Amino acid sequence: MKVKTFSGGYKLKRFQGQPQDKIIECDLPSEVSIPMSQGFGSELLPSVKVGDKVSRGQIIACDDNKTSSPIHSSVSGIVTAIEKKNYFKRELTMVTIKTGADDGCLKLEGATVRWDKLPNKKIEELLYKSGVSSLDREGIPTSFKTSIIGPEAVEDLIIHGVGSEAYNTSLDILLAGRNLYNFIEGIKILMKIMPKAKVHLAFNKEKKKILERIKKLTTKFTNFSIYPVVPKYPQGYDEVLVPTLLGKRFPYGYSAANIGIVVLNIQAVLKVFEAVGQGKPLIERIVSLCGPSFKENIHIKVRVGTSLEHLLKDRLKDGPCRIILNSLFTGANLNNLSLPVNRTYSQIIAIPESSQRHFLAFARAGMHTDSFSRTFLSAATTTKKIPNTNMRGDERPCIQCGYCSEVCPVAIMPTLIDRYIKLGINENLLRYGIFNCIECNLCTYVCPSKVLLGQHLKAAKIKLIEIGCDQSLCIVPRFDFKEFDEYKGVKKLR
Amino acid sequence: MKFLRKILDETGKFVKKTPALKRLYPVFEATDEFFFGTDKTTILPHVMDGMDIKRYMSFVIIALVPATIAGVYFYGLRVLAVIAVSYAFGGLVEVTFSVCRRKPLYEGFLVTGLIFPLILPPGIPLWMVAIGVVFGTLFGKEVFGGTGRNIFNPALVGRVFISLAFPEFFTTMWQKPFWGGLGGLIKFAPDAVTSATPLVNFKSAHFLTGYSSLLFGSAPGSIGETFRIGILLGGIFLIIVKIVDWRIPLSFLASVFILSFFGNIFYPNEFAPPLFQLLSGGLLFGAFFMATDPVTAPLTFSGRWIYGSLLGILTVLFRGLTGFVEGVMFAILLMNAVAPFIDNLIIDIRFKKISSSA
Ligand code: SF4
Ligand code: SF4
Repeated sequence: MKVKTFSGGYKLKRFQGQPQDKIIECDLPSEVSIPMSQGFGSELLPSVKVGDKVSRGQIIACDDNKTSSPIHSSVSGIVTAIEKKNYFKRELTMVTIKTGADDGCLKLEGATVRWDKLPNKKIEELLYKSGVSSLDREGIPTSFKTSIIGPEAVEDLIIHGVGSEAYNTSLDILLAGRNLYNFIEGIKILMKIMPKAKVHLAFNKEKKKILERIKKLTTKFTNFSIYPVVPKYPQGYDEVLVPTLLGKRFPYGYSAANIGIVVLNIQAVLKVFEAVGQGKPLIERIVSLCGPSFKENIHIKVRVGTSLEHLLKDRLKDGPCRIILNSLFTGANLNNLSLPVNRTYSQIIAIPESSQRHFLAFARAGMHTDSFSRTFLSAATTTKKIPNTNMRGDERPCIQCGYCSEVCPVAIMPTLIDRYIKLGINENLLRYGIFNCIECNLCTYVCPSKVLLGQHLKAAKIKLIEIGCDQSLCIVPRFDFKEFDEYKGVKKLR
Repeated sequence: MKFLRKILDETGKFVKKTPALKRLYPVFEATDEFFFGTDKTTILPHVMDGMDIKRYMSFVIIALVPATIAGVYFYGLRVLAVIAVSYAFGGLVEVTFSVCRRKPLYEGFLVTGLIFPLILPPGIPLWMVAIGVVFGTLFGKEVFGGTGRNIFNPALVGRVFISLAFPEFFTTMWQKPFWGGLGGLIKFAPDAVTSATPLVNFKSAHFLTGYSSLLFGSAPGSIGETFRIGILLGGIFLIIVKIVDWRIPLSFLASVFILSFFGNIFYPNEFAPPLFQLLSGGLLFGAFFMATDPVTAPLTFSGRWIYGSLLGILTVLFRGLTGFVEGVMFAILLMNAVAPFIDNLIIDIRFKKISSSA
């Protein structure tokens, strides 16, 4: 097994507040509000009315004609409200359900551990009905319009547990005990419904034990390969995984599905088995609470629709903190704690909000400061780095140090693009690959001049699209036109 | 600390209120930021690297400390006066410009102000230091729009200017360094005994100075350029902490070595042997501290390889074939001017033009 990696990127050192290998169950909230769009797929109309009685696991929204997957009630109770709320900058309909007496979870019909006896169509139906098919960036392809391609068109399936973010849900917890076997079963199920797909499993190379065990369990698999990968940020991105593992070029700006590749993470594969083998609808998530502002860094099993307020109650330390979803580099701020958890949550990060000024900040020895350069003592020690939201320096003109080009995972030169952005936003930017940027924000992080490169690039991209630049323009020169005909979903090429 | 905070707060209010002083606010701001860092918070990403420009510059200065102390040891306490004059006058230009342009005051000068005295001959009159640093900062940096925009290394611009404007001084200022005991640490300046630098010695008499005296600095040369062990250590330190890109010094020194190796075989009268070339003059200092100045070096990595190699070739040619025995300075200045073109070339190759038909 050869270790795979990519050029650029940055291996984040251990930040304080990594989730420990401990999992608890969140107590039931008195009410849940369930967003009508979760994960991949368009928004659905609820099929229940205010006053309806619903059971746990009951489908409350479903539309076979839209690219979507059904949504379930995560508790038993009574629908008390259906209203629009602002959820991650979108107006979304939410169904609020008051928790009543639990009458057990509805199981999906036909699910069985002997799933290999089921026809593909039935498995796909189970995946669809359970809502699992909406997981990850492009959903899991089934014959029920759950992704932009069908299952037979999938050429490569990438499953990854790279753990390249600053905080990662522990693989040891996810794959503990029976879960490891469930995970393998999950892979088999996916192999069955995607007959043409080669399966690639990318794993953090530091998790040697799990890697060895998986290797043993999969010796008989055909069309299956395991890659240990270096957990450099942002290895977990589709755009980086595809070239690293498959050596294929990525159609930046489009999705992996456009070239017949599906990328899933470990939790999604586990859910696949739970849906097909055990008939469980997708109403729960394992979320890890990370970062120094939590009293205890643990994993927590939580029902979809639980409000953050309920989930985080008494778990945060005093003092101002910033709560972030999923990623320290790109995650959204969770300012409104009344909003619910949905299927896409995997980490909730809380770090201290620090506008405090430090005496001679630049001259600190820095035992707990993370830095791309090696100018802090922390480079030579293994102390945990303490994250906070201070800028740690003032914005200065770019000194052309080249750090940003060195770390950029897609091999563009952020400072060069930034220079051209200042000269005016026009098609020239396409030439330097602005649309290749995957918004990982690593360049902003490492810049000693604190130039907000990531934001500048993002703003420029939005402007470019507004003035009518087609993203595919920057792909054209890099791809063979022949390959282009095979592009699914890419329409406007010329 | 609290006391200092109070003083700064009061001064800040005072400066802001007083109309006559209002324009000096950037100076106050820079001082304030220097001592207390920032209170701004991040947007995205939510965390930031601990490194900032202040730390970046401080590390270059730390790496220059051995060479500076050695300079004082070899050439007496007067060196400190030279450094002080350089900082004072250069700082003045910097402040004037930031006030006139109403722009914040940046840290770049902290390094220039120290590098400049270190590349001067030890016997330099103080007034000439002042002229040099003012010229260098003005024409090397400010006319281009300040830190980050300059094409030439300001310290080098100043140095070359005074050596061209007052050439007659430059033959007589190479004093013999103190050697042994406490050296210059307890003396103000060496006696007026001057001697030729190793490079001049080679040029005029084909005399090769011993390697150990080159390494330890007992042979005459510029203030900070002769203690080569210290320079090597400082340079390697900067490479380890990732402030200096290793590509430039490596390609620079390697190409000097290779070219002078062959040059010495075929034309031993013009080209000194490789090791002597490496250890003489300002080569090591230039390779580690001046050629690597990120603002004036190319941005692309392949460009940096080209830049370094061309620097080496130019240096050897200047030294061997022209009267300017100290070829490093001219080579770096010349390549500073070429660096943007190298970058453009590399970028043109790497990012193909998008044809209008697409
Ligand atoms: S990291 Fe910052 S200072 Fe360095 S080249 Fe990029 S933008 Fe410029
Ligand atoms: S945000 Fe964009 S430009 Fe910056 S490192 Fe990531 S991909 Fe490269």
